[in-house]
Amino acid sequence: MIEINAELLIGRKVCDTNGEKVGRIEEFRVTNKEKACLVEGYLVGTSALIDRLSAWTLIRPIGKALRGRMYSVYEVPWEQMDLSDPEHPKLRIPKSELRHSK
Amino acid sequence: MKKILQLALGIITSVGGFLEIGSVVTAAQAGANYGYKLLWAILLGTICLIFLVEMSGRLSAVSKHTIVDATRERFGFPFFSIVMLGIVAVAFLVLVAELGGIGLSLQILSGIGFRWWAIPVSIAVWLLMWKGTFGLIENGASLLGLVTISFAVAAVKMHPDWGSAAHGLLPTMPGDGKAKYGFMAVSILGASISPYLMYFYSSGAIEDKWDESYIPMNRIIAGFGMTFGGFLSMAVLVAAALALQPRGIDVEKFEQAALLMTPALTHWGFYLFAFSMLFACLGAALEISLAIAYFFAQGLGWSWSEDLDPSRDARFAFAYTIIILLGAIPLLFGIDPIKVTVMSMALTSATLPLAIVPFLFLMNDPIYLGKHRNGWLSNSVVAIVILISFVLAIISIPLEIIGG
Amino acid sequence: MKLVRDVLDKKLTDREHCEMGRVSGLIMHAGERSQPRITHILVGGDALWMRIHPWVAALARRLAKMWGPKRDDPVRIPWSRVETVGKDVRLDVKARETGALDWEIWIAKHVIERIPGGGKEEEE
Repeated sequence: MIEINAELLIGRKVCDTNGEKVGRIEEFRVTNKEKACLVEGYLVGTSALIDRLSAWTLIRPIGKALRGRMYSVYEVPWEQMDLSDPEHPKLRIPKSELRHSK
Repeated sequence: MKKILQLALGIITSVGGFLEIGSVVTAAQAGANYGYKLLWAILLGTICLIFLVEMSGRLSAVSKHTIVDATRERFGFPFFSIVMLGIVAVAFLVLVAELGGIGLSLQILSGIGFRWWAIPVSIAVWLLMWKGTFGLIENGASLLGLVTISFAVAAVKMHPDWGSAAHGLLPTMPGDGKAKYGFMAVSILGASISPYLMYFYSSGAIEDKWDESYIPMNRIIAGFGMTFGGFLSMAVLVAAALALQPRGIDVEKFEQAALLMTPALTHWGFYLFAFSMLFACLGAALEISLAIAYFFAQGLGWSWSEDLDPSRDARFAFAYTIIILLGAIPLLFGIDPIKVTVMSMALTSATLPLAIVPFLFLMNDPIYLGKHRNGWLSNSVVAIVILISFVLAIISIPLEIIGG
Repeated sequence: MKLVRDVLDKKLTDREHCEMGRVSGLIMHAGERSQPRITHILVGGDALWMRIHPWVAALARRLAKMWGPKRDDPVRIPWSRVETVGKDVRLDVKARETGALDWEIWIAKHVIERIPGGGKEEEE
């Protein structure tokens, strides 16, 4: 069991099992029940244009707001995300098996 | 009845609080150098400001969040910190200009140099914030600022050619000196569209506990208040065009600007100018200091309210104390408030996208505004004006610096 | 519920509706095969400055050692104390007891109250 600062995961690059870049962690889907907050999944955002600029803290939040045309989001269930190295989050599946978020 | 009184007060305080050293110096320089040719910049700036102020009030009334609250929550702390750094840095320069404006007015009235007034003025401004309530600051300073109506009186008394003035409402390019003209247009836009005004207005809506029922009143205050205020700016330009341009007087010194009312109002005009600037700059200094302190307090989650004792919102009170003290320092070293004014207005134009782009996203966000989101008109007007300001600023500021 | 949209950077209020800062960070416990859970809310301190850059956090830590309440770690509030998540995040705690107001109290006592007219910070 490791302790992670969840807010520092935001914007971290995520790669799949083949080392291919998937996108960056943008959001955590959680359920809040009986005083416990469980992470159900992660939303990983990807965009060629925004990604090139995504090191710029200034651009990414605006890019997120333009979601849809320029920016798509994958839904990653919690069991498919490997956070053993929080600086380099990895998927446990290849990118092709990911679902797009609604 | 209470709402009607609030409405009247809102409009009056918008008018009384509109002019400050930035709008007066930039309008006076424009009139002295280009006659009526830059009236369009004041018109464009005022129209944009009407929309921005209305939007600020609407956001706070509906979402019960200030612009700063919503920016931090919607975009996250790292993005917010960049916005905060940029906006606060420029607002601080404007504060230095306003404190300098109070000092220069007292210099005219007393003969004692503005550098000597830096500390007493800062203490006076600080004391008003320390002991005063939000209502006192918002209403008191602005009611005193109504003396700036004397600019309109002076302009009318000089019998301007209204036809020529009307031509100035359409943009034209001068024959030569395009860089300086562009820079002056940018400075006027920056003087009119001041982000600190939006943050102050939005915080005021929360301090005054506005809700959705205040939306119509907010529209009227923004519309009428800013329109009348814009007319006052135009009056300064017209008066300068008539009083200074024929005599070849450029406004590089405060005392030169003070001459713009003398043809109409004789020596009274000189003193009326000084009193007008004194109260106008005082109101602005209070607003800007509060706006900067609100930025820190709201963004970082401190308790804040001008109606609380300082010990009940200690970090907020500490913030405005430090801000005002720091604002006096450049003046102690004799930095020319007029130069600071003009440059800070131009920098305001250049940094407008930092404030306005996230704000426009908020104004279209259903989470904050529900059915009261922006329509296409608000979005278009603001986006176009900000784009114009930014592009002009990027081109003209370097040219002006190179040209000295 | 979404953490970034609904919780992170939101205002925190205690059981008496007293404002106690904003959510600066969130502690997550993640195991190899167990479902990750959010265990604590972080308020202020390192958690906030680390989000900009580790250098900023290091500078803030150095400044905090010289001046202010001597507090090394950000304030941690167990997630079990979260009552509601809405416009604000309401906690079943008393703000003063969490340490979230340490800076506010320190500045009130050491700076503001020493200036005439500053008033008196509440003592309980």
